[in-house]
Amino acid sequence: MFRNNYDNDSVTFSPQGRIFQVEYASEAVKQGSVVVGIVSKTHAVLVALKRNAEELSSYQKKIIAIDEHLGLSLAGLASDARVLSNFMKQQSLSSRLTYGRAIPLERLVSAIGDRAQTNTQHYGKRPYGVGLLVAGVDETGPHLFEFQPSGMTQEMIACAIGARSQMARTYLERNLEKFADSSKEELVIHGLRALKESLAQDKELTVENCSVGVVGVRAEGMKTIEGFRLYDGQDVKQWVDLVADGTEEGGAGETMEVDT
Amino acid sequence: MNHLPQAWGRPRDDYYGAYDASYFQSNGPNQHTQQPIVTGTSVVALKFKDGVVIAADNLASYGSLARFTDVKRLRTFADTSVVGFGGDVSDMQYLDRLLNSLDTEEAYTSSGHTLNARNLHIYLSKVLYKRRSDFNPLWNQVLVAGLDEEKKPFLASADLLGTTFSAPSLATGFGAHLAQPLLRKVAPDEEAAATLSKEQALEAVKESMKVLFYRDARSMDKYSIAVVTKEGIDLKENEKLENQSWAFADQIRGYGTQVN
Amino acid sequence: MTSIGTGYDLTNSVFSPDGRNFQVEYAVKAVENGGTSIGIRCKDGVVLAVEKVITSKLLKPGANKRIATIDRHMGVVSSGLVPDGRHFVSRARDEAASWRQVYKTPITTKDLASRMGGYLQAYTLYSSVRPFGITAIVAGWDSEVELPVDGEVGSGPSIGSGGKVEGKKFGGPALYMIEPSGLYWGYYGAATGKGRQSAKAELEKLDLASGNLSLQDGVKEAAKIIYIAHADNKDKEFELEMTWISNLDGPTKGRHEEVPKDILEEAERLAKKELEGDEDEEETKEEDKPADGDKMEE
Repeated sequence: MFRNNYDNDSVTFSPQGRIFQVEYASEAVKQGSVVVGIVSKTHAVLVALKRNAEELSSYQKKIIAIDEHLGLSLAGLASDARVLSNFMKQQSLSSRLTYGRAIPLERLVSAIGDRAQTNTQHYGKRPYGVGLLVAGVDETGPHLFEFQPSGMTQEMIACAIGARSQMARTYLERNLEKFADSSKEELVIHGLRALKESLAQDKELTVENCSVGVVGVRAEGMKTIEGFRLYDGQDVKQWVDLVADGTEEGGAGETMEVDT
Repeated sequence: MNHLPQAWGRPRDDYYGAYDASYFQSNGPNQHTQQPIVTGTSVVALKFKDGVVIAADNLASYGSLARFTDVKRLRTFADTSVVGFGGDVSDMQYLDRLLNSLDTEEAYTSSGHTLNARNLHIYLSKVLYKRRSDFNPLWNQVLVAGLDEEKKPFLASADLLGTTFSAPSLATGFGAHLAQPLLRKVAPDEEAAATLSKEQALEAVKESMKVLFYRDARSMDKYSIAVVTKEGIDLKENEKLENQSWAFADQIRGYGTQVN
Repeated sequence: MTSIGTGYDLTNSVFSPDGRNFQVEYAVKAVENGGTSIGIRCKDGVVLAVEKVITSKLLKPGANKRIATIDRHMGVVSSGLVPDGRHFVSRARDEAASWRQVYKTPITTKDLASRMGGYLQAYTLYSSVRPFGITAIVAGWDSEVELPVDGEVGSGPSIGSGGKVEGKKFGGPALYMIEPSGLYWGYYGAATGKGRQSAKAELEKLDLASGNLSLQDGVKEAAKIIYIAHADNKDKEFELEMTWISNLDGPTKGRHEEVPKDILEEAERLAKKELEGDEDEEETKEEDKPADGDKMEE
């Protein structure tokens, strides 16, 4: 039944010092639909591809607002994400109540990282089967963090996780230099393009299957924030139309203009 | 002799009467602190255009006894805020250690996150309110002086009930009656405080300390004074009141040998 | 490997017939794959450095710190599983804070190492947990002056000794390394992670036991050693992160802080220069090689 003797639980090291259960948990992240996050000097955006179980069913929620200043997107087990996001909501509120301060992102992300680590070191627990991208702003500006089932958390400039996300990451790596000075709209467009790279062949981006989350500061270095806002349905049409087939690369004027 | 082991080492019943077991009772009403023991008197503070001046004398009284004469009642936080403590000195020490550990926790990450004076004041007021709600108050009134998130002067008070208050000038204890009117003359409102120079504020606070020494029997002429600005904290802990004049003293009924 | 297939290596806390706990040994394997960490105990401070291998271009440069502050005067770096390292750090912070609550004074580095050694050892005792997949290097500067009690408000009686002992020696630099088994030793120079062999070789050249190396020079040596240790892993890019703790008269005033950017960059520049120098030497050696080779064959 098992692939080897060392992958039964998360309290057993393999002879190479690996913990297979944790590695398998990160496979669960790859089962989820793709989500992308990008950060600039002023904004952090999340872009997600939603899936529906069947033609007539609703679409799975992929982006969750946590507090005025941050939100997250998930890939993997949605119920695990809900446990973590509820915890994050509590922590955020507690910071606002005790100190009158929006919780620093790094601290919040570390807190869920520490929780996830515990699940990898004690028998009878299992690692979380979800990856998260956490986007938000705090005292030190906009941030994007990646969370993995191992408890690893890393601050990123851009990131994509979920099914076929390698294609999206390749897009992000190719355009890495542009992000810092991008406007909010440009970030969303880049996010959607990255998302599009990861799409299965017969799929395309529609207002039904796209979610966008945006948060930022009004200007670089400023304290007043544009609170986290979630865009769904017709609200994402403005951006989805811009990356639809045919208008490809048109806006940014990139490589495809060979024939003209 | 009573040979029962449970009687060994106990006062003899036949001699002392049966032991009154009601002394053992651990249920029933529980009594916490009813009054402060070793106390500090007034703290006075005044905002000016670039920051806040705050002062408190160096005396800790045991009832009417001037018990400790080198007690520093202005405590600094993270080189950005000053907390002035009136009331019980041991509770002050407890709060000081609490702030110390908070400061250490804040310093874990070096990336620009700090608690400003407003955050600190909210935190202290929650601690004080929690304790009063447990019917176990920390017997202090504190003034928090520093800068808020916009780097504007911040001054607020919190007391053993968790009551909070903010004004351009504040004073605790006797100071609330004797010093506050003098300070209000200098800075009747926020606008007036915003035009005060550091020198004017210092003079007003020092004058208040002098009046307090004249009229408050639990005060002394050695005091600490701090100026909090963007540049940091300038704390002097061994100042002495200058230019005292006791010419008015023999006018006071009950002073010296004159009794009525 | 004699361990595999025996069944003795499948559960933590189980001894093999020859008295080994294989799960702990496997945890050490996790450490040996991690980026190199080092610590150097200098005469007027301690320095910590770590090689952060860049796993993705998308990572934010300069973020994702791997050296953590435990108490104001103490830092920790670890090699191995990063989340385990964070667990270690959070426990160490709790230990330092609870020490302060009991004793009203900062924990000494030695005591912290002892507490954490005990903690890691406990994770080798039960089948319900796994050992830590990290080796941690703890650096601290225990204050060289007698500290006031936390929360102290006065200076005590103005006459008499007040319990103070004239000329008593306090504190100084301290460096400890704690392994997954819970074993720990004090070190002059400590290294762990993938490049530990070459790092150790370099540390041994420094004659740290004589206590002559200054903190400023220690920073340069630390940068150089990380660069040398990385040479075996050249295909991957890395970031150098360094922190230090000086004495009260030094640049950090007894606090654990990041090495300032200009000093770090200068140390990196010197490290790169030295490394290039070495390569030049190697090239010249290669030119001489035929002759050497002839001799060898004799």
